[in-house]
Amino acid sequence: MKVVNLLAAVDAEKCRGCKTCEKVCPVLAIKVENHKAVVDTERCRGCAACEQRCPDYAITMVKREQPVVVKVDVSAVDYARVEEICRRARLNPEQIICYCTATRAEEVAAAILQGARSPEEVSFLTGARTGCKVECIQPILRLLEAAGIKPEPPKDGWQWYGRTVTVWEIPDEVKHKYATRGFYFDEDIKLLDRVVAAPLQGRRES
Amino acid sequence: MRPPITPIPPRKSQYGIDPALVKTRVSELPGMTSVLLKELFPDLPEVIYPGAGGVSAVRKATEEALKNIDMSRIKPEHSVNILASHHGFTLLGGEPYAEMLKTLKDVIEARTGCNNIRLRAGVGLRFRETEEYIKRYGLDKHFEGKAIGVAPIDQGIPIETEIGTLYGIRKIYDADWIVHAHNSDVREVHFHRQVDRAVKPFGMSYARIETRSTYHQNLGPRAANFTARAIFDSPFVQGKFAFASFLTVAPNGIIGVDADSDLYALNDRVTQIGCRYYGKMMTLFGEIDECIAALDFPCPVVYVFSAGVIYANFAGANTDLYDLDLPLPAYTWYTEAFYGKAGRPLLKDIPPLNPAIKMCVHNYAWTGYPSAFFSEHIPTVVVGQEQADLFNRDPQNLTYLKHAVVAETTEAAMEFAYKTTGTRKVLIFDGAMGGINVSEPLAELLLKKAPAVSERVENELLPKWLRQRGIDMSVLGKAAS
Ligand code: SF4
Ligand code: SF4
Repeated sequence: MKVVNLLAAVDAEKCRGCKTCEKVCPVLAIKVENHKAVVDTERCRGCAACEQRCPDYAITMVKREQPVVVKVDVSAVDYARVEEICRRARLNPEQIICYCTATRAEEVAAAILQGARSPEEVSFLTGARTGCKVECIQPILRLLEAAGIKPEPPKDGWQWYGRTVTVWEIPDEVKHKYATRGFYFDEDIKLLDRVVAAPLQGRRES
Repeated sequence: MRPPITPIPPRKSQYGIDPALVKTRVSELPGMTSVLLKELFPDLPEVIYPGAGGVSAVRKATEEALKNIDMSRIKPEHSVNILASHHGFTLLGGEPYAEMLKTLKDVIEARTGCNNIRLRAGVGLRFRETEEYIKRYGLDKHFEGKAIGVAPIDQGIPIETEIGTLYGIRKIYDADWIVHAHNSDVREVHFHRQVDRAVKPFGMSYARIETRSTYHQNLGPRAANFTARAIFDSPFVQGKFAFASFLTVAPNGIIGVDADSDLYALNDRVTQIGCRYYGKMMTLFGEIDECIAALDFPCPVVYVFSAGVIYANFAGANTDLYDLDLPLPAYTWYTEAFYGKAGRPLLKDIPPLNPAIKMCVHNYAWTGYPSAFFSEHIPTVVVGQEQADLFNRDPQNLTYLKHAVVAETTEAAMEFAYKTTGTRKVLIFDGAMGGINVSEPLAELLLKKAPAVSERVENELLPKWLRQRGIDMSVLGKAAS
């Protein structure tokens, strides 16, 4: 869940049409048209990625008159299927996967069940990955994969490149090689498995 | 009792309020004093900074450390990227780190004849932060326009590793050689647990979002550091790695510069300093029974620091952050993620945030790091509406103020904290150098507890910590100096 209270605004005088903003926008809400960046105000999730990377400082974040609440209603989908996707992705459904917006795995799974087919769609629907823009790409990719979806990264974009290893997939020889150097792979697997299997608390979100 | 030490001044930044709005520092209030770290732990090493020589001592130490480095593979026609990270710029005002970076460029140029030397400065979650430092410390001029900040959403490059493909930032690696310029400050020991500290930026400041997300979400709290090692050990990175140069830091200041073309040898030395000296500060902070934590430093909430220890570490000081047998400290993103919908940890054995922190007075701290977990679990008073408004505009902190209250002045916030908590013990995170600013009752407690802590760390904890990391103290020949 995210309250979107900001909107990217482009200063056309300063914009040189370099497309950096287009390549970093996690929801594909800004595009260069006729050599100038144009924001789709309905789509923008106020993450400031474009503002933070524009080499010409051509973007400012302005306050929205009407903040938009972005949220997927988990109760509108079959919770058994939500649980199945989460646990297959080795995430507890109530586990937070985006710290900035406190989005839980179950909300991403629900977004997928409601039709999200890519990290961009997940971010658009839930607001996840529109805070720090850094930390939550892997759990989103894991959840999509667990639902049988193989998304393709946006062409020429820098949004994301691919899913990477999880602790369950670390090869045995790697574990052995570094066993004495403070990497507690097997112990962490035990901990994470317990988290995945932990019972739900299930309080209704207020 | 000593007078308080002058804290690091507020700093102009897009991530903080206008410095003019910071009217009162917590250390200026009645009842505040300071304790020198050497008074607490007389065995802390001698420092070169702060000191009479100013940053020129850092230049000298860098030149000295580089004398032993073989630079013969760097040819005049080559290109070199000096890789830096944002945290170095917040250490002791930032000048010492900037001076090491400038010296590195000067020495490499003089020794190799190569003049295509660039600075690539990585960030945390504030993508413009190092751009600000590059200007502030004149690094753009010193590097003749070849100094840039790089962010984890910039164009990436796949790196093949022992554990599959991970991703770096393309501009970090777009040179023939890379020089890893860092520091040994323990900073987020709750995350790295002092495991491969010297290698960590390869999985963070120099890495793309995919890799950083792997670290924080895919591997588990103690295995996570392996992402950095996997990247560093990859043939791609090894083919470019020239050497590393580190500001070596103890809680009381900069103790020297350590350079090595063997990063793991340097890492072993850094581990010993980190466990021994920071370990003592952290263990001492764990002895605090109750206090008000005052944040007063130009950095995001978690990173404000006192005695070399950051607030996030203090929030976990009820646990032993160095003990790897302990699966989860009281704060990491893994811990935070494992709080269920009722606001309780999903597993019973997940430790709570340090219950000694009765209240947090947020006098001055920046945005740019998700911090709502702290205000949700520790009663928080934010000083000034401007600061509150700034947080309400930060996409990473939209709920920080939902859990906090706003006070008009520093005085009012502290009065409220004293009354509500009933404690007069105050620990100020304001980056004071060489010592810590605290209230008198806390000074007494720290001075009383320090000798026993020192002994316990030396005799009991340090041997265990080093053993867990595979470090044999007896073979640590070269001390960092
Ligand atoms: S990044 Fe900036 S200059 Fe480039 S297209 Fe976008 S707004 Fe224009
Ligand atoms: S979602 Fe973020 S990157 Fe995209 S247009 Fe809005 S502020 Fe810019």
